[in-house]
Amino acid sequence: MKLWVTLEGRDTEVEFHTEGETLILELEGRRIAADFHRLPDGEVYSLLVDGRSHEVRVSPGAEALDVTLDGTTVPVEVRHPLEKVLRATMKASRAGAGETVVSPMPGLLVSYRVKVGDSVAPGQAVAVIEAMKMQNELTARHGGLVTDLLVDERASVSAGQPLLKLKAAPG
Amino acid sequence: MKPIRRVLIANRGEIAVRILRTLRELDITSIAVFSDPDRSALHVLLADEAYRLGPGPSRDSYLNQERVLEIARRVRADAIHPGYGFFAENQGFARACEEAGIAFIGPKHATIAALGDKLAARAAAVRAGVPVIPGSEGPLETLDEARALAKKIGFPLMLKAAAGGGGKGMRIVRTNAELESAWGVTRGEALAAFGDDRVFIERAIERPRHVEAQILADSTGRVVFLGERECSVQRRNQKLLEETPSPAFDLKMREAFGEAACRIAKAVGYLNAGTVEFMLDEHGHFYFLEVNTRLQVEHPVTEMVTGLDLVAEQVRITEGAPLSFGDTPPAPRGWSMEARIIAEDPAAAFMPSIGRVERVRFPQGPGVRNDAGIYRGFEIPVYYDSLLSKLVVWGENREQARKRLLRALDEFVLEGPRHNIAFQRWLAAHPEFAAGRLSTRFLGDHFRPEMLAPSREATEVALLAAALHAREERLEIAIGGGNGVERSPWRWSDRRRAGGRTRP
Repeated sequence: MKLWVTLEGRDTEVEFHTEGETLILELEGRRIAADFHRLPDGEVYSLLVDGRSHEVRVSPGAEALDVTLDGTTVPVEVRHPLEKVLRATMKASRAGAGETVVSPMPGLLVSYRVKVGDSVAPGQAVAVIEAMKMQNELTARHGGLVTDLLVDERASVSAGQPLLKLKAAPG
Repeated sequence: MKPIRRVLIANRGEIAVRILRTLRELDITSIAVFSDPDRSALHVLLADEAYRLGPGPSRDSYLNQERVLEIARRVRADAIHPGYGFFAENQGFARACEEAGIAFIGPKHATIAALGDKLAARAAAVRAGVPVIPGSEGPLETLDEARALAKKIGFPLMLKAAAGGGGKGMRIVRTNAELESAWGVTRGEALAAFGDDRVFIERAIERPRHVEAQILADSTGRVVFLGERECSVQRRNQKLLEETPSPAFDLKMREAFGEAACRIAKAVGYLNAGTVEFMLDEHGHFYFLEVNTRLQVEHPVTEMVTGLDLVAEQVRITEGAPLSFGDTPPAPRGWSMEARIIAEDPAAAFMPSIGRVERVRFPQGPGVRNDAGIYRGFEIPVYYDSLLSKLVVWGENREQARKRLLRALDEFVLEGPRHNIAFQRWLAAHPEFAAGRLSTRFLGDHFRPEMLAPSREATEVALLAAALHAREERLEIAIGGGNGVERSPWRWSDRRRAGGRTRP
C-alpha cells in the first residue's frame, strides 16, 4: 500500500511491502527496513530503522499526527492516495438532478448507514467500505432522499460501482 | 539541644522529596504538608505523615505561616526544614519557629535578616576584607547622586533593588540616558515587589561567571568550605545547569575563594548550611554578590563530589552536634553536573508549561542521580515552581561527567508538559560548553530557539513512524467535500480508544 506523508509542507510518498518477515518502506527512491513495535505503555513504539533504534510516541493532534522523539514533537499529516480517485469520482457523480454514490475503491461494502426514504444532508455518511483493512466512510456530496440501495451489505464492490441513489431534495 | 525526632518539611516538589529521604535514613519521622492540588504529590506519598495546608495558591498553603506553624505544633514537630523558596529565607518565619519552640533548620533569624538586605550583606563583606564589585556604599537617595557615582565608576552599571534577590529587581544601564529612565522604573518595581524602593549601583561585568561557595558552620564555631559551584548558564538570571568544580578555577583561586567565603560567614556568626555567591570576571577576580541562607537547588553536585549528605549535616548542626567529619571536610573527588529539568518551552521564550505527566522514564546507571518530584499521571499544578527534576551526574573528570550527562539526557523520557530536556542536550553538547567557556550571557551569545529543531534523521524517523502508525491503525476516510471541506481529513478509528477516554 501507499500513503502520502506531509511534513513541514513537503509531500512524500511512502510505499509499504513485506519481504518475508521484513517490512520494507520505499521513500524517495530508498528502501528502508522497518520494525515497528508497539510498547506496552500506550501510544509508544520502538522503531528500528535499518536497525537503528528509536523510541517514538504517535498521538492524534489537532490537524495531524503528533510524533514525539528525543523530546521534540513533530506534526505529520498522513493521507491516502485514493483521495485523488475519490475526488474524480465525486465530480462524475455530481452531474444530474440526483446523486449516485459510488465506491471509490475495490473492497467490501460493510454496511449502509441509511435506508430507503431517509433524508440525507450534504456531507452525511451513507455507507462504510472496507479496503486494505481500513474502514472508510462514504459521504453524500449533495444529499437528498434515498431512493435505492444497490448492493447487498457484506458484498464485494469494484471501484466506481454505484452503491446508492439519492433524489434531489425539494427546494 | 534535644535530639530531633520529628521534622516537618515546609515545602513541596523535588526538594521536599529530597529532604524526606535523608530524614527517613536518619530514622527521623518525616512530616509533609500539602495543598489541595498536591494531595497526590510524591512528597505526600513518600513521607511518614502528611497534613493538609489549604487551597492551591501559595499564600493559602505553603506560604500560610500561621497554618504551617499550627500544624507543626499540633503534630509535635521538633523542627521545620524550609527547603528553598517559600519560608527558606524568611527571618519572620524563622523567628516565629523559635518562639513556638520549634527548631528552624537554617541560620539564626538575625543572620537571615542581616544577609537578606543586600547592602548590609555587602557591608559585611567589605568588613571581612572580601572584594565587592565597585559601587555605592549605601542606598542612593537621588538621581543626581546616581549620576555622580556613575561618572566615578564608569558604565555599564547595574541598578539594583536593595531588597532584591534571585535575579529580580535589577537592571543594566549603559548610558546616562538609560540611567535616568531606569531610575524610576527600578525603584517602582522594587517598591511593588519588595515593599522597599531603595536602590544601589554596581559596576556591571559584561561576561561574568557565576561561582559560589558551599559552606557549613556548626555551633562549635567551625566553618568549612566544601568547594565551589559554577552556575553560569542562566536564563533571566535563573540557573539552568550547575557544576562543581568550576572549569575556571585553579588550586590557588580555590583556596582564596574558600577563605573569603569563610571569612564572611565568620564575620556574621553564620550557622548551618549556606552559599556565598560571587561574580568572576574575565581576569579571574571574584567579587562578592550575596549570601543565600539556605540549602541551594544545586546542592547535590557538592554531595556527589564530597560524598556528604548536606541535609544530614544540617540536622546535626541544628541538634548542636559537630559536623560529621570534624575539622577537615572530605577532599572532593571527580566532577559533577546538574541539569534542571523544567516544565517550560525553551523554543517559546522558556514559557512555563503545566499538564499531566503522561509518561516518564528516568535515566539510571552508573554515576546518575535524579531528584524528581513527579511520577507518571501526576498533574503539575499551576501554582508553583516549574522545576520537575534535577538530573545530577558524577564523572572522574569534566569530560566524563559531560558525556554521562548527555547519555542520561538521551535516556530521559518525559511526555505531557513541555520540558527542556532537548534544550539541556543542546547545551551539554555545545562546543563552548564542552570547552568550559561559560558566562551568564551564554544563552544570549549562543542560543537561538531554531537550534532545537529536530535533526534530519529525527524528521525522517518521525515521518516513517507516522506512516507506520497509520498503517497499523484502522483508518477511516471521510470521503466527500460536500460540506465545503477542501481537503478531507483522515479520521483515526482507534480500537483501543473506542469507548474509552478521549484526549482533549
